[in-house]
Amino acid sequence: MGSGRSDSRPDGLFAAFKIVVAGGFGAGKTTLVGAVSEVRPLHTEETLSSASIGTDDVGDVSGKTTTTVAMDFGRITISARLVLYLFGTPGQERFWFMWDELSHGALGAVVLADTRRLDDCFPAVDYFERCRLPFLVAINCFDGAARHDPEDVRIALDLDRTVPVIQCDARQHDSVKQVLITLVEHVLARRPSAPRKAPAGPVAAASATAPAARPSFAP
Amino acid sequence: MARDRWRDRKAGPVVRPYALTGGRTEPAGREVLDLITIIVATDPAERGSDPIELSPEDRRILGLCRRPVTVTDVASITELPLGVVRVLLADLIARGRITVVPQQPAAKQPSGDLLKEVLHGLRAL
Repeated sequence: MGSGRSDSRPDGLFAAFKIVVAGGFGAGKTTLVGAVSEVRPLHTEETLSSASIGTDDVGDVSGKTTTTVAMDFGRITISARLVLYLFGTPGQERFWFMWDELSHGALGAVVLADTRRLDDCFPAVDYFERCRLPFLVAINCFDGAARHDPEDVRIALDLDRTVPVIQCDARQHDSVKQVLITLVEHVLARRPSAPRKAPAGPVAAASATAPAARPSFAP
Repeated sequence: MARDRWRDRKAGPVVRPYALTGGRTEPAGREVLDLITIIVATDPAERGSDPIELSPEDRRILGLCRRPVTVTDVASITELPLGVVRVLLADLIARGRITVVPQQPAAKQPSGDLLKEVLHGLRAL
């Protein structure tokens, strides 16, 4: 439904966006990405040097090492000319360098929170606040996990009141879809030129606002 | 597939990834190739291509670039490491074989119309 604009260029892909999915180990990042998108593998063999100056030949730079990071990403075809990528952040601390790579130019970020280990998402919240990337916190409601009031989570994470905090089920297509919609709406609302709209309130329950399921399509 | 040629089932990669780039780990030129940078072949029909000048990887990448494609998709489809793909793409740009499709500068805000198109697309998922 989202395509079909009269100005669509016939020659295909025109713009690509990325959303970063962060959260502690086992918070459900991979599950969330897989619930809404086609998951594909990506291999990186990155040089671990902080000062990458000019052209270099690995042979003459001592102490320069490469590390392989195998990661998955999600790919959502929005229309013939638009594609949206979901990149989960690598969990291990030694892959912090990947966060900059993933966050640079990103549309926004989803911080997936597991209320059993809420402090696991502190680093992600800190990071996105610092680089001023719009983000929301999605509380993954695991089976059996005590339900937490999003307001309590907001206080525990010391979040600005403009940051959306929503509940989700990372396994459910419609729930994750609503997380992404909420994030893009948040990004739109933060734009300085955006027409002023009445704020939807600091808390929006994903389950309450999820539209009826529609069959998905994959061009 | 690249996997068949460069990856042994037990031993893993049989050629160090940066052997494909002549040992270079940093892309040539000033173009910063983000994960979502879109590139396209300057000559989709590949007329006048000199097979000697191009490695099999170059040819494969050029084939993918007949239509606009992202850096991420090139790396994923070829199964080559991202860093290697960046070097190969930068070389192809320097040789005029592919070009970057102008987008909104990554650090700046995309247009509201595009974002609304994303929103519509997500709602239709």
